[in-house]
Amino acid sequence: MMKVIALAGNPNVGKTTIFNALTGMRQHVGNWPGVTVEKKEGILEYRGQKFLVVDLPGTYSLTAHSIDELVARDFLLKGSADVVVNVIDATALMRNLFLTMEILEMGLNNVIIALNKIDLAEKHGIEINVKRMEEVLGVPVVAMSAKEGAGLDELKEKIHLMANGMLKERPVIPRYDPEVEREIEHIMAVLRDTELGEEYNLRWLAIKLLQRDDGVIKLILRHLGSAKLDEIMGHIAEVEERYKRAMDLIIASQKYEFIDRLMHRFVRYTKVEGESFSDQLDRFLTHPVYGLLILFGVFYLMFKFVFAVGLPLQGYLDDAFAAFGEWLAPHIANEALRGLLVDGIIAGVGSVLSFFPLVFLLFLALSVLEDVGYMARAAVVMERIMRKFGLPGKSFIPLVLAFGCNVPAVMATRTLDDERDRLLTMLVNPLIPCSARLSVISFLAGAFFASHQALVAVSIYATAVLLALLVAWLLSRFVIRGEESPFIIELPEYLIPSWKTVTLHSWERSKEFIKKAGTIILLGSMAIWYLSSYPVQMGTGGSYAERLGMFFEPYMRLMGLDWKAAVSLLFGIIAKENVISTYGIIYGSEEAIVGAMTPLQAYVLGMVTTLYIPCIATIGAVRAESNWKWAAFTVVYMIGLASLVGILIWNVGTALGY
Amino acid sequence: MIVPLNALRPGDRGIVVNILGGPTARQRLVGMGLTPGATVQIIESHQYGPIIISVGGVRFAIGRGMAAKVMIRKL
Repeated sequence: MMKVIALAGNPNVGKTTIFNALTGMRQHVGNWPGVTVEKKEGILEYRGQKFLVVDLPGTYSLTAHSIDELVARDFLLKGSADVVVNVIDATALMRNLFLTMEILEMGLNNVIIALNKIDLAEKHGIEINVKRMEEVLGVPVVAMSAKEGAGLDELKEKIHLMANGMLKERPVIPRYDPEVEREIEHIMAVLRDTELGEEYNLRWLAIKLLQRDDGVIKLILRHLGSAKLDEIMGHIAEVEERYKRAMDLIIASQKYEFIDRLMHRFVRYTKVEGESFSDQLDRFLTHPVYGLLILFGVFYLMFKFVFAVGLPLQGYLDDAFAAFGEWLAPHIANEALRGLLVDGIIAGVGSVLSFFPLVFLLFLALSVLEDVGYMARAAVVMERIMRKFGLPGKSFIPLVLAFGCNVPAVMATRTLDDERDRLLTMLVNPLIPCSARLSVISFLAGAFFASHQALVAVSIYATAVLLALLVAWLLSRFVIRGEESPFIIELPEYLIPSWKTVTLHSWERSKEFIKKAGTIILLGSMAIWYLSSYPVQMGTGGSYAERLGMFFEPYMRLMGLDWKAAVSLLFGIIAKENVISTYGIIYGSEEAIVGAMTPLQAYVLGMVTTLYIPCIATIGAVRAESNWKWAAFTVVYMIGLASLVGILIWNVGTALGY
Repeated sequence: MIVPLNALRPGDRGIVVNILGGPTARQRLVGMGLTPGATVQIIESHQYGPIIISVGGVRFAIGRGMAAKVMIRKL
C-alpha cells in the first residue's frame, strides 16, 4: 500500500506550487466520488519509496459550510492520510494558523507544517523563529519558498520520516476560557457513553457541537437521541446568554486569542508597515471608475493577444488537417471507409482541434492574470455591476472563460462557494459566445458584411452577453430564488507568476477541449457524415440530413431561414463550427453560400447560431455539474431564446426593408 | 463608539466586537480572520460596491451588506 500524503491549507498559500513541485508531471485530476470538487492526485518518489499526494481543496476553516470544506474535513477526519502537510502562508500567520488549530483539534498527530513564502515574510519585517515555532506548536515545521524551490528537500525528508513512523510529534491544541472548557468537558462526558469515541476525537466533536455544526449535530442526535441533545443545547444557549455572543464566535475569537499568545513566542515584527505598494495599487484597481476602465483595457489586450497569436496558428492547423485528409484519401480503396475517415472524422475532428491554440492561449492569459493576483480585483470591480443582475462578482471569471470554450467555463463555476450562484452562472454560461461561435460569426461577418464586419460581430457578441445578464436576472428573480450570498474575497499579494504553474494549469483546463474532440465530436462527426452520405450523397435532396432539414423548414421560415439552415444548426449541436462546414458541404463553395442568402438572413443565422442549444459537450458539462433537469432546462430556454430573437430580427429587418 | 464596518472611512482603524447575521456568513468571516478582537483597517470604501479592508496582514474585499453586520469599536 502506498502511503498517502494530504496537502491542506488556505486558498492562495502556494499549495498548488508545492503540489506540482512534489509530484512533477505525474499527476491526475478527477472528481471526489459523488461531488464535483476537483481531486488532484500525484505520485512523489523519494528515497525509492512512492507516496500518493492528494491536494485537498483550499479552505479557510473546516466548519463544513461548503462542499470544499466538507471534502477536506472528511478526508482528514477519516484518517485517510498517513501524513498531513499543512501549507501555511508566513505573511498571514494568524489567519493560517486558525486552520492549523482546527486540524490539530481533530486529534491528528501526523501533521507537518510547510511554512511557505518565508522570504516574502522577511521582506515584510516578519521574523519567524522556526525552531521555536516547532517547539511551541509541537509539530515539525519546514520553512519554504516554494516558488524558488527552497525547503523542498527538507519537506520530502520530513514526509518520508513521518510516513515511516520515525518522526513523532506532540501537537498543541487550543485551550478556551474555563467556562467554555467546562462545556466541552460536560459534552465529552456525555459522549463517552456512546461508541462515538471509537471513531472520532471526542474533544473535537464537543467543540463542533458547541459551534452548532450541522453534520455533527445530526451525528450526535443519532447516538444520543433528541432529549439529551436538547439538554446540551440548552446549556450552550445559557453560555451564549452570558457572553452575549453566538457560541461559534466565542470559540473562534478565543481560538484566535490562543493563536496570538502562541505567536508571541516565535514571531517578531521588526517594522511597522505603512501603506504598501499593493495597497496603493488596490486603491486604483478596485476603484469603481478607474478599476473598471483598467479591467476593460486588460481584457481587451488579452483578447487581442490571444487572437493575434492564436488565429494564424489555427489557420496552419486547419490547413494541416486538410492536407492530411488529401494525402490519406488516395490510400484508401474502400469508398465508404474513405468517406468516413476523410470527410467525416478528419474534417470534423480537425476543424475542432484547430481551435486548440486559441483555447490554450486564452487559458494561459487567464491563468497569468489569476496568478498575478488580478482576478480577485476584477471580481471586486465586477461585483458592483453583476450584483444588479443577481450574479456575484466572482462569476465574472467563469463567464470570461466561456469566451474560450463553455466546457471548462462550466466546470470553472466550481470556484463559486455558493450553490445558488454556481447554478445561475452555469445556466447562463452557454450564452457567452465561445471561440467556436467566433468562427461562425467571423465567417458570416466577413462574407456578407465586408464594410461593417466588426460592427456586425460586435453586435452579435453584445446581444449574447446582454441576454446572458438578462437571463441571469430573470432566473435569480423567478426560478433560482434564495438569499444572495455574502461577498467576501481575499485580495492576494501581487506576484510574478511561475511559468511552470501557469502552463500546467492552462494545459489541465484546455485538455478538456481535446477530450471533447476525441469523444463527442468524433462520434458526432461520424453521425454527420452518415446522415449526409446515406441513402444518397447530400446535395441531391435525398439524404437523411436533408430530409431532417425539410421537416424543420416550416419552423425555420419564421426567421427567414430554410432547410439548409436547419441541417446546419442540427449539426452545429455537435460543435458549433459545423454550422459553416455543413453549409460548405451543401453548397460546395463560399461564393455559392454568399449568393444564396441575403445579409439579413446571414445576420439571423449568426445570431441564432450564437444563441441556440450549446454544443453537446457543454450540455454534458452542465449535466455533470448539476443534473439532467438543469441540462434539459438550458437546452429548452436557449432554443426558445434563439427562436424569439431570430424571429424578431427577421421580421423587424424585413419591415425596415433589408 | 461602536459602529458597523461600512460606516468607517478609508484610513480608519477599529477592533471587531461582534458579528451579526446568520451562522454561514459569520463563520465565513471568522475563518478569514475577521473575528471579535481582530484589528481592521479600511483601505478603500466607495459609496457603492465592496469595501477593501486589511486584517492581520491580509487584504479583503467585503460586500456592503455583509460589512453592515460587522460591529467595530473605532480606534
